[in-house]
Amino acid sequence: MPDQTIPKISEDTLIARLRARDTSAVSLLYDMYSAALYGVIVRIVKTEEVAEDVLQEAFVKIWNSFDKYDAQKGRLFTWMLNVSRNLAIDKIRSLEYRMKVSTDTLSPAHQASFADIAFNTDHIGVREAVEKLSPEQKQIIDLMYFKGLTQSEIAEEHNIPLGTVKTRARSAVKVLSKLFKGSV
Amino acid sequence: MSNEEYLASGILELYAAGGLTEAERKEVERRAAESPEICAALDEACAAMEAYANLHAIAPRPELKQQILGKLQTHPSLDEGPSWDTTSLPAEETSPYKWMFAASVVLFIISGLLSYRFYTKWQQAEQRLAKAVASEQLMAQNVRHDAQHTQQLEQTLAIMRNSAFRAVALNGVKAHPEASLYVYWNPEEKAVYVDRMQLPAPPSNMQYQLWALDKGTPQDAGLIPTSFEEAGMLKMKTVAAAQAFAITLEPKGGSENPTLDNLMAMGSVEI
Repeated sequence: MPDQTIPKISEDTLIARLRARDTSAVSLLYDMYSAALYGVIVRIVKTEEVAEDVLQEAFVKIWNSFDKYDAQKGRLFTWMLNVSRNLAIDKIRSLEYRMKVSTDTLSPAHQASFADIAFNTDHIGVREAVEKLSPEQKQIIDLMYFKGLTQSEIAEEHNIPLGTVKTRARSAVKVLSKLFKGSV
Repeated sequence: MSNEEYLASGILELYAAGGLTEAERKEVERRAAESPEICAALDEACAAMEAYANLHAIAPRPELKQQILGKLQTHPSLDEGPSWDTTSLPAEETSPYKWMFAASVVLFIISGLLSYRFYTKWQQAEQRLAKAVASEQLMAQNVRHDAQHTQQLEQTLAIMRNSAFRAVALNGVKAHPEASLYVYWNPEEKAVYVDRMQLPAPPSNMQYQLWALDKGTPQDAGLIPTSFEEAGMLKMKTVAAAQAFAITLEPKGGSENPTLDNLMAMGSVEI
């Protein structure tokens, strides 16, 4: 859960300091975004041990290729999330590739821990958000956001027409957008 | 596609929710950079998903922060950017196998060298053992031979020291002056021994025979074996009474009566 005591500075200031290779800005960047990124990474890779590795790799990559971030093209968090998500997906694909047999036997344990995380919805905001979304909308959003599947992968693996996937994703984001308007 | 159509297609929401491929994302970013309208709509969708992520945030272990920040400060910056490639991970993972392969090759070579070394050592040991066994056998043979010799000498000594034995010197007859031998006779035990034979080698079909002469009658006192090697005294047949001993050359196997033509040596028992 996000810590209320996290110092908030404006995104522009933070970006400027990071561009100037100000290492103290990385500490702020970490405080502001690590929990949100970690929440997504844990849900994709399903084990905290791997998630910690991915978070570390993500911050190294964010820091080293910060000059590639273009504020004109989108939000800082979105860019950081894309970097983290790519690393997390690479990780599970390579893990799946390497330990195909052993994951088959391990998967019940993983699913158990994943279920704990997935339904850790004590936060009042989460409950509200989940109540606003239909189960179909929530399924599509969580498959994309927390499992790292693309629209066509969802259509194929879950036997849902691609058009339906698009529609549900769009309406879900709209619902969330209305819900959070002005809060971020 | 016009901006309106693009906005209505739902692609910006798919972008925000993470449902696009890398290539599709690049295209959305390109359109957003071109149009402020699209950029604003994309920002709104992304902000909604950012809030959704914040709701699901999980704080990592507090220790992880120092670990990660430490990594950043020690990590060489910027120029490394393009080399950040996940393909470098599998390469690292194959290294244990390379290492294991190299180790197994080294172990194989070492075991080969050791095998050769132990084989040659074993061969040398075998040779030395064979020599030792041979010399031990020779030694045992010598010891046996010496023991036999000692026994014969002891017997000889015992006979010579025993006053009951009479020593009879048999001297060669005129035809064979070189022939001579000694007979030791114990009248009490009737034992007869022959010693210090000086006789020419008999023809292959003949053999020497000893006779005891009692009141002029010759009595067979035994054959001298052709293969006899003089080491001690030769034990002959028992003789109860005799005044003289003689030795003749007889056909192999001996004769009942001595062939006097072939008399070699004779001697009287001294009273």
